[in-house]
Amino acid sequence: MQLRDFFSEDAIKLDLEAETKDEALKELVGILGLDEKSQGILFKMLKRRENLGSTGIGRRIAIPHCRSLVVNRLRVAFGRKPSGIDFDAIDKRPVQNIFLIVAPPLEVSNQYLPVLGKIAQFGKEQDIPERLAEIQTPEEFLALLEEKGV
Amino acid sequence: MHPQLELLLELQDLKTQRQALATEGLKDVESEVFDLRPEEALQILDTKIDELAERLDDPVRARFCEVSDSVGRAVAPVLNGVCYGCYVAVPTAWSSEVGRNDRVNVCSHCGRFLYYVD
Repeated sequence: MQLRDFFSEDAIKLDLEAETKDEALKELVGILGLDEKSQGILFKMLKRRENLGSTGIGRRIAIPHCRSLVVNRLRVAFGRKPSGIDFDAIDKRPVQNIFLIVAPPLEVSNQYLPVLGKIAQFGKEQDIPERLAEIQTPEEFLALLEEKGV
Repeated sequence: MHPQLELLLELQDLKTQRQALATEGLKDVESEVFDLRPEEALQILDTKIDELAERLDDPVRARFCEVSDSVGRAVAPVLNGVCYGCYVAVPTAWSSEVGRNDRVNVCSHCGRFLYYVD
């Protein structure tokens, strides 16, 4: 299982319009192509998870995540905000790279936890924040995932 | 979507989150990667779960509690016309109906509330 296999180009947004954490979550949920009601429920769940503690893991990376009945398979999205967003991250620094992970309560292949772990591992690699900042296209993002082999 | 169904979805999602946080695996990731304190988080989730449950109509809440106690998950998604709680087909007429989530449907086989996932 490689991270690359879970991302599609249409779920990668390199210039998020969002200025706040809430707006960023909404924008990322929006690119998953769910109906309006489902988007609202998903946003609330992500917010509730954030209320337990920020998913900003430091080094300008956040990984909002949750399970919800409104999705029928594991979905991931990536958003980048070069100027940064206040995410109340562990290191208190603004977040530039946001990886969204959502999954149904039950999955046949149970990929949610491994994908979450792999993204966290990817984010901890020394050169990742700089490499993500240099990316120009969704293809380059996917190529970086492939290169890192996670 | 029926307001009670929306509440049921939120409630079930929170219970799923609570259950995951109480078990190994996610609990470890949440504390090691995200610096979350699971015990505190569980208390917050319990409060929110109680709060949402209070907003359910009495008969809906009674069924939710009864089914939760007996089979764990009280709300099941319907995918391709099948209840993913008991894996029995739901009536075809329900599945094809427009606005099928605009009322509170119950699986006639397992008694779970049904949510049709598009």
